[in-house]
Amino acid sequence: MLFPVRCFTCGAPIGHLWEEYIKRVKQGEPPAKVLDELGVKRYCCRRMFLSHVEIADEVLHFPKVS
Amino acid sequence: MNIEILEKTPFTLKLYVKDLPIHVLNAIRRAVMSEVPVMAIDYVIFIENSSVFYDEYIAHRLGLIPLTSENASDKYKSPEECAEAGEKKVFSTDCFVKLDLEAEGPENGMLTIYSRDLASSDSDVKPVFDNIPLAKLVKGQKIKLEAFARLGRGKEHIKWSPVSAATHKYVPNIIINSENCNGCGKCIDACPRGVLKLVDGKAVINESNLLLCSFCRLCEQVCEPRAIRVSHREDEYVLYLDFTGALSPRKTLIEASNILIKKLDEFEEKLKNLGVIQ
Repeated sequence: MLFPVRCFTCGAPIGHLWEEYIKRVKQGEPPAKVLDELGVKRYCCRRMFLSHVEIADEVLHFPKVS
Repeated sequence: MNIEILEKTPFTLKLYVKDLPIHVLNAIRRAVMSEVPVMAIDYVIFIENSSVFYDEYIAHRLGLIPLTSENASDKYKSPEECAEAGEKKVFSTDCFVKLDLEAEGPENGMLTIYSRDLASSDSDVKPVFDNIPLAKLVKGQKIKLEAFARLGRGKEHIKWSPVSAATHKYVPNIIINSENCNGCGKCIDACPRGVLKLVDGKAVINESNLLLCSFCRLCEQVCEPRAIRVSHREDEYVLYLDFTGALSPRKTLIEASNILIKKLDEFEEKLKNLGVIQ
């Protein structure tokens, strides 16, 4: 759904970096460079960014079943 | 004991520690991870949630937000007392900080709720990062909630730990027998961290990369004349701490040391009471 607040493996806070990351990647910057500049060093945290798909934007328009 | 700072940023600390036994260093590391109290959201009361996100999902995200806790251990009661109060659903102000959140989807488009939208009852305890997305809302969707944060310890839940990664590592001691070294350069190609280099036809250590050595011993294996031996130095370690921002590195280490001292004092007292020591 939304980008995780923390890295699943090491627990480092990463949620605050998502919007800048995706903005810059969409502008055409290489993901590796953006992650380096954001200070995301470990590969556990880096895969969180690389593998995330923001499906919340689509789910948002469907009614909740509960 | 000799400590050298290798790296110091607001969120990381890397120390080169000499002449300190590993069990002492590990005790400090483990105290930092699981004993030093910090603030984190523990209870969330949903007054209204008509968003597409389930209550549990939002509560989980709220819990993981690091909260500034620099003065919290002086102002609020201990984790143990507050855990008990929480179980009884007594959200007293000497234990709990209240964070309110209220938002409604706009007429057009989408609204993202960020961690900065949490209104805290204590200006000293607020999210470390302002722009963590918490939920998204469209027209007709509303969220209204009250979150309660309290002090806790990492051993109860990792959200109460002041650090994320906390490691210690041996310092490599790579011995190259230059008489046997034939200068073939295989070790240099084999090393994934660039620890070795070739100078005047002999393999030598590239000092600037020495601490990157991961003890994989590939250099040892590829060396036909068996001129390289990888071992570690006695009582020399690199301590690395990656902070969440809840506490400063300084406060974290002071608190951890105090907790260890208190535990040892309690142990000594117990032994005295039992008559084991004088």
